[in-house]
Formats: sequence, structure tokens, C-alpha cells
Amino acid sequence: MRERSEPTDGLVKTKRGVLTASLVAAVALVTSCTRGYYEVPIEVPIAAKLDVAEYKRILIAGFTTQTSLNLDLDSETVRLLKNQLRMRSTLQVVDAELEPLGDFSEPSLKQSGLVEQVEEMEKRARAEGEEEISRQEWIDLEQDKLLEDEDYWQGVGEEYQNPLIITGKLRFGTESRSGYSRSDRYTRDAFNRPRLERSNIFHERTGFTLNAEFYFIDGETGGTIHRERFTEEVIYGRDEQASALSSYFELMDRLLPNFLSILSPQTFRGTRILLQ
Amino acid sequence: MSLNIRCHLLSSLLLLVLLGSSVVFADEEKDLRKFAKAQVIFGIQVAQLGLWKEAAYRWEKAVKLDPSNSSARNNLAVAYEQSGEFEMANDEYERALDSNPNNIHIRQNYELFREAYERKKRTDRRSGQN
Repeated sequence: MRERSEPTDGLVKTKRGVLTASLVAAVALVTSCTRGYYEVPIEVPIAAKLDVAEYKRILIAGFTTQTSLNLDLDSETVRLLKNQLRMRSTLQVVDAELEPLGDFSEPSLKQSGLVEQVEEMEKRARAEGEEEISRQEWIDLEQDKLLEDEDYWQGVGEEYQNPLIITGKLRFGTESRSGYSRSDRYTRDAFNRPRLERSNIFHERTGFTLNAEFYFIDGETGGTIHRERFTEEVIYGRDEQASALSSYFELMDRLLPNFLSILSPQTFRGTRILLQ
Repeated sequence: MSLNIRCHLLSSLLLLVLLGSSVVFADEEKDLRKFAKAQVIFGIQVAQLGLWKEAAYRWEKAVKLDPSNSSARNNLAVAYEQSGEFEMANDEYERALDSNPNNIHIRQNYELFREAYERKKRTDRRSGQN
């Protein structure tokens, strides 16, 4: 008798399961209907900032750099952007390596004798009562001369079948972010009464900052069609021993979605409630 | 028939016409609201299938039939948001909240929308400056 009853029990259990599931589904349906609202997923399209429909190819032409850290900022960025664009853009990434545009960090400038030239110019400006410009402003102007050289970019464009050219300025460095912060602590005195102790604690911290300005150049005319600047910073405590390379990748990781949104449409995903 | 009786008859007739027309108007208004609600429900059904354009059309129709229908306005705002029409979405959310300020769902939708909209405006401003 027992042997016979076992399969029947299983069948009964399955039937009961189906019945429960149907009941739960029906209750959920009825509840949502009576509540009068429905949660729906939405995908909000954000159009690309730049219309790249007329381009088939994209060339990462390298960057002018400024860094005091032990890192090849130009080649790391070129490699990273090429990989990202291969995955996330419909444009064909040109696999070419161009001459480096130049390093504008202090040691390189000293080596090329440009620092002396600048100091000379600064002296002259002071003597003639002209408006002085800061060292960084001067470096920016020098970089702009290179990046806005339409003849040069037109030549590059001709060589690689008029692609959309990406170039720009990169500055990566560290700055001390150490400082005091207030700390409140509750302790108990000899009579076991709570007491608030306030103190200032010194925190030793280092900030890694990445400034990137991207230039989007039309390979046919050599003219700049779009420029966009990004600044990202990450701060580490004394105990967190982060290398320049890992900080650079962390900052690029934050910056990349914004960079990619210039070239390809992005989507925001979320949920909204529809009302009956 | 005396003038007095005639006046009474005329005023009664006028009252009857007025009453009749108000009943007709009330019925019409009721019908319009009913039609609007049907459009709202159908819009939800098609939106759940991902047919957002059809849904938007239905809710636009519902809003025309019954401009005080905050559900239709809320849903229409969601449809505009889904298609990237941020300014139109903003207007509809605001109108929905005007007619139903205490609805927690409309408020929640609007807050989430504002977050995305502000982010988009910030990015647009930044690219405009460059």
C-alpha cells in the first residue's frame, strides 16, 4: 500500500505546487492592479556629443604630456583608448604609431633648453612692463601651437585616409593632501560619566591628479572640431601604497565613460512607475 | 393665455433646457474621463511590451480627453524620458504634480528624472564651454 501511495503523494505535491504558484501569480496581478501602479524598466538614450557619421576610421595620434611620475603617459593612454574604442565604437581604429608630440615636464624642458628661453622671455616681459604669464600658461600655449597646427594634422589625415583624429594634452602628478581633521571621541571619567573629547588629527595623504584635454580633429581639413577637458583626482592615505600606474588606471577608469559619450550614444538605465 | 402664465411657462421651459444640458454635459464629462482612463490602461499594456511610441500616443490622447488626469501626465512624462525628450518630460512631470501634489509615485519618478536631467545638463554645459 505504501509503495503505491508514494507516487500519488508526489503528484499531489506537484499539483499543490502548481496551484500555489498560480495563486501567488494571481494575487500579485490582482494586487498590482488594485494598487494601480506598475514598475517598468526604462532606458534613457543620451545622444553622442559629436556626430561621427561621416567618419569610418579613428586615429589616436598621441598626446603632449606633463608628468613627474615614472610612467609613459602617452603610450599608456594611446593603448588604453585604442582598446576601449575597438570595443565600444563602430569606427575602425587605425593601428598606427605616430611620432610622440612631446613631453613638457620640467626635466624635459630643461634638457631641451626651453626653460632658459622662457626665463629670458619672462625677464624681458618684466623689464618692458608687459603682463606676465605663468609657466603653466606658457606651456599650454606651446602645446596649443602643436595641437592646432592644421597643416600637420592635414598631412596625417592624408596619410591615413582622412580619419577622425584624437589628440590632446595630458598632465598627471601628485600633490600633498595632508591636513588636520577634527575627531570627536566619547570617553568616561572616574565617575563613569560620558565625556566628549575633541582633538585634531593629522592625516598624511597624497592626491594623484589627472588633467586631460582631448582634441577631436577632422583628418580632411586638419581643423579642431571639438575639445573637451576632464579633471579627476584620487586621494590615498599613508598606509595605502598606491603606485602611479594603478592610480592612473583608476583615474582613467572614471574618465572613460565621459570620453566615450562624446563619440557614441550612451544609455541610462532605471525604473519608473506607471499609474493607472 | 395671460401674460403671467406665458412667462411662467417660458421660464419653466428655460429651466428644463438648462437642467437637461447640464445633465448632458456631466454625462459627456464622465464619458470623456472614462475614455481617458481606457487610453491610460491600454498605454500601460503596450509600454510593458516595450512599445513606448504607441504608449505615448495613448497617453497624449488621454491628456487631451482629460487634462486633469495626473496618471496620464505622469506616464506621458515617463514615455518622453524614455525617448530622450527631457524638456517635454520635465513639463509633464510638473503638470502631473500640479494636479496631484501628494502622489508619492509621481514625486519619486520626478526626483529620479531630475537627477538624470541635471547630470545631462551639466555635461552639455561642460561641452558647451570647451
